[in-house]
Amino acid sequence: MTNDKDDDPESEAQIRALLKRSLAPEAPARPVLGEVQRKIRQRSKGKFYRDGWSTTQSRVSYALVAGIMLLIVAIAYFVLGPMGITNH
Amino acid sequence: MTPADDFEHWSLRAAIAWREIDEDVTDAELETKLIERLVARDERAFNELVRTYERRVFGLVLRMLNSRAEAEDLTQEVFVQVFKAIGTFRGESKLSTWIYRIAVNLCKNRAKYLRVRHTGEQEPLEELAERLPLSQARHANVAQIERPDEAMAGRQVEAIVRAAIAEVDENFRECLILCDVEELSYEEIAEITELPVGTVKSRIFRARAQLRELVERKLGEKIR
Repeated sequence: MTNDKDDDPESEAQIRALLKRSLAPEAPARPVLGEVQRKIRQRSKGKFYRDGWSTTQSRVSYALVAGIMLLIVAIAYFVLGPMGITNH
Repeated sequence: MTPADDFEHWSLRAAIAWREIDEDVTDAELETKLIERLVARDERAFNELVRTYERRVFGLVLRMLNSRAEAEDLTQEVFVQVFKAIGTFRGESKLSTWIYRIAVNLCKNRAKYLRVRHTGEQEPLEELAERLPLSQARHANVAQIERPDEAMAGRQVEAIVRAAIAEVDENFRECLILCDVEELSYEEIAEITELPVGTVKSRIFRARAQLRELVERKLGEKIR
């Protein structure tokens, strides 16, 4: 009686090669992340992924946007505020 | 390190975020940090986790269910379950192994449900009988083929192999896919399937034998 576990290496290599040749890596047609976020939001009754920041696909963080906004406000203050640039 | 491991390594580094990058940090430490963020319900960490594993989970689920629509739906479900259950992850296995285990269990449940509903819409192997010989499908994967006759043969072999995998006994099939497609070790497969390593090896052997027989019967020639 042959032992099941003693697979013939040549046969094993042939099957592996056939599978590799035949099964190209595939990607889902629809974006997974958006749907996962939607399902989690629904099932958690809005506890998770409730706002645009948490569901955005962009890698720009809100900290960066907040920093840019602060910079714009500071520039506006210096240009338009009490120490603003005036034409004499 | 396999290409999948390599991809996972760099994805994990990305997941930990630019602010904490340190070349001396090991993959295990990176994974621990990611898990800490996930347990703390960090939504951005979870987004990175989905991006890192979505293709691998989808690939596994697609091979198990042989239906794109079902695979897409189930891939989403896997990540929803990961999000729900991350607090119970004890770190006794790799995070990827744990995610695979969830995917395999959900696949089994879905397959059982589909069997009851009789909604399997797999192409019968017999319909693929009119074909070009395997020897003509030198590269079988259509993405690598230039000549139209080779492309045709490649598509036919792809279809035959996919259909044959779907006909392999379900319990054997999961071990075969995890081993020969996902390139996981026997030990990892044993953890995912919660089977002894010896049983895993035996099932892989039987799955290969079944697959060989099915493919050769339909092709009418030996696999070389």
